[in-house]
Amino acid sequence: MPVAVEFGGILDNVRSFCIIAHIDHGKSTLADRLIQYCGGVEEREFRDQILDSMDIERERGITIKSNTVTLDYTARDGKTYKLNLIDTPGHVDFSHEVRRSLMSCEGALLLVDASQGVEAQTVANLYLALEHDLEMVQVINKIDLPAADVERVKEEIEVDLGLDADEAVLCSAKTGEGIEDVLEAIVERLPPPVGDPEAPPQALIFDAQYDSYRGAVLLVRVMEGTLRPGQRVLLMHTDKSYNIEEVGLLQIKRVATDELSAGMVGYVIAGVKAVSDIAVGDTITDAEEPAAEPVPGYKEAKPVVFSSMYPMSTDEYQDLTKALEKLKLNDAALIYEKDSSVALGFGFRCGFLGLLHLEVVQERLRREYDLSLILSAPSVRYRVTLTDGQEMWVDNPSLYPDRGSIEGAEEPFIKAAVMMPERYVGPVMELCRERRGENTTFSYLAVGRVELTSEMPLAEVLFDFYDRLKSVTQGYGSFDYEMLDYRPTELVKVDILVNGEAVDALSQLVHTDKARARALHYCERLADTIPKQQFKIAIQGAVGGDIIARKTINAYRKDVTAKCYGGDISRKRKLLEKQKKGKKRMKMVGSVEIPQSAFVAVLKTDRD
Amino acid sequence: MTLERPQKESGTETETETGTGAGLYIHAPFCTSVCPYCDFAVTIAGEERRRAWVDGVVREAEMYSDIGLTFDTVYLGGGTPSSLDSEQLVQIVDGLRRKLPVDRQALLFIEANPEDVSPRSASAWRDLGVRFVSLGVQSFDDVDLAFLGRRHNATDARRAVEILCETGFRTVSVDLIYGLAGRSANHWQHQLESALGLGVDHLSCYQLTVHEETVLGRRVAGGAVREFGDREMTELFFLTHELLADAGFEGYEVSNFASAPEHRSKHNQKYWDYSPYLGLGPSAHSFAGGRRWWNLRKLRLWQNTVSEGKMPVEEEEWPTGTQSVLEALMLGFRTAAGVDLERLRARFGIDLLAENEDLVDQLCTSGHIEVDGLRLRPTLAGLAIADTLARSFSV
Repeated sequence: MPVAVEFGGILDNVRSFCIIAHIDHGKSTLADRLIQYCGGVEEREFRDQILDSMDIERERGITIKSNTVTLDYTARDGKTYKLNLIDTPGHVDFSHEVRRSLMSCEGALLLVDASQGVEAQTVANLYLALEHDLEMVQVINKIDLPAADVERVKEEIEVDLGLDADEAVLCSAKTGEGIEDVLEAIVERLPPPVGDPEAPPQALIFDAQYDSYRGAVLLVRVMEGTLRPGQRVLLMHTDKSYNIEEVGLLQIKRVATDELSAGMVGYVIAGVKAVSDIAVGDTITDAEEPAAEPVPGYKEAKPVVFSSMYPMSTDEYQDLTKALEKLKLNDAALIYEKDSSVALGFGFRCGFLGLLHLEVVQERLRREYDLSLILSAPSVRYRVTLTDGQEMWVDNPSLYPDRGSIEGAEEPFIKAAVMMPERYVGPVMELCRERRGENTTFSYLAVGRVELTSEMPLAEVLFDFYDRLKSVTQGYGSFDYEMLDYRPTELVKVDILVNGEAVDALSQLVHTDKARARALHYCERLADTIPKQQFKIAIQGAVGGDIIARKTINAYRKDVTAKCYGGDISRKRKLLEKQKKGKKRMKMVGSVEIPQSAFVAVLKTDRD
Repeated sequence: MTLERPQKESGTETETETGTGAGLYIHAPFCTSVCPYCDFAVTIAGEERRRAWVDGVVREAEMYSDIGLTFDTVYLGGGTPSSLDSEQLVQIVDGLRRKLPVDRQALLFIEANPEDVSPRSASAWRDLGVRFVSLGVQSFDDVDLAFLGRRHNATDARRAVEILCETGFRTVSVDLIYGLAGRSANHWQHQLESALGLGVDHLSCYQLTVHEETVLGRRVAGGAVREFGDREMTELFFLTHELLADAGFEGYEVSNFASAPEHRSKHNQKYWDYSPYLGLGPSAHSFAGGRRWWNLRKLRLWQNTVSEGKMPVEEEEWPTGTQSVLEALMLGFRTAAGVDLERLRARFGIDLLAENEDLVDQLCTSGHIEVDGLRLRPTLAGLAIADTLARSFSV
């Protein structure tokens, strides 16, 4: 039932803000607390309504999908405010999503863990927020912890971030202490939105969800103008028109309203059925009287990591196709196109913003769509110059040109920034060196705290750089990076052969110096995970025609049990049936059975 | 290395003929003590329960009197059926003959332990109609026997074999276990030589299999006892087949060897060639009319149920056509006779060769099977991977 929205002075009582923080500093818990405080929701039932609904996010302590909620807060001044909390992903891979959310806000809570202090992503996110001219409120969280050191953290804020820490709000999202202070700070210190409800409409789509009954639900921040049910609207970048069916606010559940006007945050349902018709980041305007320009800053996020994915069994291909479509709805950065492999059949070549993005997509496909997938080794995109002068972009090893026709190649470099206590500088510098880092320098941020920067190939960061970093810094190191440029490199294509047959899904492009080690790693992992069969199996790593690594799996010669009399038959048959079923999940390369786990194992690094 | 063996006249039966009848199996769950490696349904029970069991078996037999099968083998297994006294054995056999259609010429089999073998008991068995005695020797070495928790020593074992051979059974068979950790291949060879030297006509040679829920299993899990690895077991398996082949014994099944076709265990062959059988007594398994069923495992429960006049069945299943073919393959590839393709076609409507052409070619090339008329026979290498063979086929 549409509800007439009352705003008093329209926009004065509205605040739109997001929470930015380093991973694990309590962003979700704080968001939960704010919701709970304003909604008066019981602890118990409220567990089902938390913003972070995905297990993987909880596991990693990060938010991946944008989510938003509008809270009603009655402040100490007696007025009731509408607080739009726009939740943002916390990882560097998703900075484009962060930007979109930031564009929908006027302010941000900069959250810092009282025991951990300022970390690499705090810095990175802060810069983004400043770029978007957001008003900041510093919040120091987790003051309940014994290791909390508020004074020290305040100093870090001043030194590392160059901000005035005197007015930082202290709270513990876990215990609830200080939550009201946070809300008051939002009301007092963050500016209300501005916008003219009469102007031609301009609404930024900062996220989308899919409802199986209603179609796409677009989450929008209206910059200018007003949107109403019945209105014919145009999506400016995709250039498609729709009729608005419903608009409203996001208050855990959707609450329909008469209209959404400038300064407001809410949702629009416009009968958009095809997932591919949505571009998150697009601008909605009136079809008859459109705005002159879309909301600026819309940029297609560039993928930097590529991998092919194949369903375990060919009859899941259709399911994979549909699942990717649905995922893409609120993950605009995911790109994909059809691909095929001799070994693995039909699949998709996908582009991701980073390794985390890749992992998240894979996990979501597994958990939400029950798809078991095989992935090829993740690759960056190389720029290859051929002898005839042509340039091509290559990320797929199977499309790598013949060695003879290659003049040179370049790979993408990043500037990595690592923040850590000074005692770990040595091991971290060594780690960067191992990963072909250049111009590695470090500087002191404060007594005992160091920031190290290094220019490294993105390809070297693909294989668990973050985990290694955490390991050598005993968890204290934090990491962020930005893309730099393309630099010359020496590439070779490493192929993996099983009993003489190349398994194309295992081919990869590797720096010359690392080729042998990589090939050997693959051979060893395969030798560990491919089960013995009734003939010998030779696993080889090759570059061109040269074998650079090998491992052999011996045949088993006997598998029968000693006894098989009347009482054994039923049980034994069931065991064989089980084994036959298991075999169906194997991939055949020639006559060798390769389990899915083998394809996964090769992607894990030596320490696993 | 060849082992000498006196030649006996071979019989006239074809290798596959196990008679047209069904097999009757009786489970005597009694033992004087439980061996540490045993995972059968056995119990140490007194006279009272043994008597009750005998009555129970006869009562259970009656429940199947209209089963529509004719039995041409009767197998007394367990446990240790030889620990029953001869009156009890007579009672059972008579009871079975009265209640069920048991062939006049049916072959009787009994499992015996050396400590139960005496000229008197052996004669009693022979008079009862037993033709095939399977003696649980396991080893002719005292240290091995102690490890295996057996109640006889090497001398007892030899003596028992001698007595049996003198008594006039058609076939005397010896069970042996190999793969005790720390024992060399030579040591195992001596066991085989001892058995052959005593003039037996049948051997069952089993790899030591450690089941988790047994005393031995727990000792292995706890690290007190080492298990032989796959490689060693594999070598012993092949050694066994080769040595016995040299001595004129045919390894007609993975673990079973006969000096001539008439000495093969006709009863056990029914399991492998898909013939029907009925099992009476606790934990006994049956297969007839496409149905598999098995009895309650615990003696007391089985006893009570039978006393109430009810069939003591724990569970049953009706294998589908696909499952049945898988069974036929799994059992067929365990035997030298192999899989009867014509019978598969007749019973299940499947043309195995046609549906698995490439696989069969591959397996012939790799030396694991041979196509012999309408049979697929495993070679020794094929026998060793019978399970893999069975599950490789598309059924």
